[in-house]
Amino acid sequence: MAHFAKISENKEVLQVLTLDNKDMLNADGVEDETVGQQYLETHNNWPAQMWIQTSFNTSGGQHNNGGTPFRGNYAGMGYTWDEDDQIFWPKKTYASWVKHIESVSWKSPIGDAPALTAEQENQNKTPEGTDAEGKPLNATHGWHYIWNETNTTWDLTDSKA
Amino acid sequence: MQKKVLSEQALYFGNVSMPKHWEIDRTELTHHILHSSLTNEKLQFSKTFDKLNTYMRDYIGLEYNINLVNKSTWGNIYKPNETTIPLLNIDPVDLRNSPDFTMIYGVEVKDCNIRIHYEDNRRKGRSWDIELKNNMFIMFPSTNMYYITNNQKDSLNFVQTITYEYI
Repeated sequence: MAHFAKISENKEVLQVLTLDNKDMLNADGVEDETVGQQYLETHNNWPAQMWIQTSFNTSGGQHNNGGTPFRGNYAGMGYTWDEDDQIFWPKKTYASWVKHIESVSWKSPIGDAPALTAEQENQNKTPEGTDAEGKPLNATHGWHYIWNETNTTWDLTDSKA
Repeated sequence: MQKKVLSEQALYFGNVSMPKHWEIDRTELTHHILHSSLTNEKLQFSKTFDKLNTYMRDYIGLEYNINLVNKSTWGNIYKPNETTIPLLNIDPVDLRNSPDFTMIYGVEVKDCNIRIHYEDNRRKGRSWDIELKNNMFIMFPSTNMYYITNNQKDSLNFVQTITYEYI
């Protein structure tokens, strides 16, 4: 099965259709995207160049089965087709985030969240053993960074506070 | 203080912006509506109709996350100065099989007005008017009664209606 994303004039993915591989074979019996596009134009009433092949097994620039990744991500409704980079981008997580081509994902303008300190990591861990009532012990803190879009900073938060 | 919206009555409208050279062939739709009216047969399925219908389903799905499924479609011709009777596309005693949305498309229209009636809690009998233009659609809940008026005296107005339910 081959998969094709139907894109709008704004390059947004409207839907993804599956196509039998035999419907995209060229005269030499080789799978050819343009043949699939032509087939979809004929049968689905949408211009051939606005059908873009996508890989079901590709996400985050990796192929799930160890094969060659194709076009960054498996397209989904609302994704955007980036013709220059040949990547399907998911919706932006935050308005300020920017494309990171290497990881095929959106990153904050100041990079990833800082790593937690060893002390914070320790406080996040669930200790072994039980309390006086025999109930399992809980971690004392839940340190993690969340993105602050207003200040464009990573804010350290304790979910157990 | 918090707020929870239990229900909303939304109207969706705009132009059907197809890719260049893939525009809706409104002349073909006009012919089909005319044929259907003269022969009293169901509206012919055509690639043009499919383009319009798929556009609606795709873009309403993309923009508003509403998955539409077709219920029914028909075309109407409105004579000069004609105002329809109140139109309602649900069956009040069979709501289960009634559509959720009514979509009206301007196939070939001039001075065509749509008046949609609604209720705003205790404020009953309100209405909202919009002019339907060529290649324009208006979609609203099928529970809303509406009228279509051809406000001029020179030409016929051709209007296509599609009803949908959402899943």
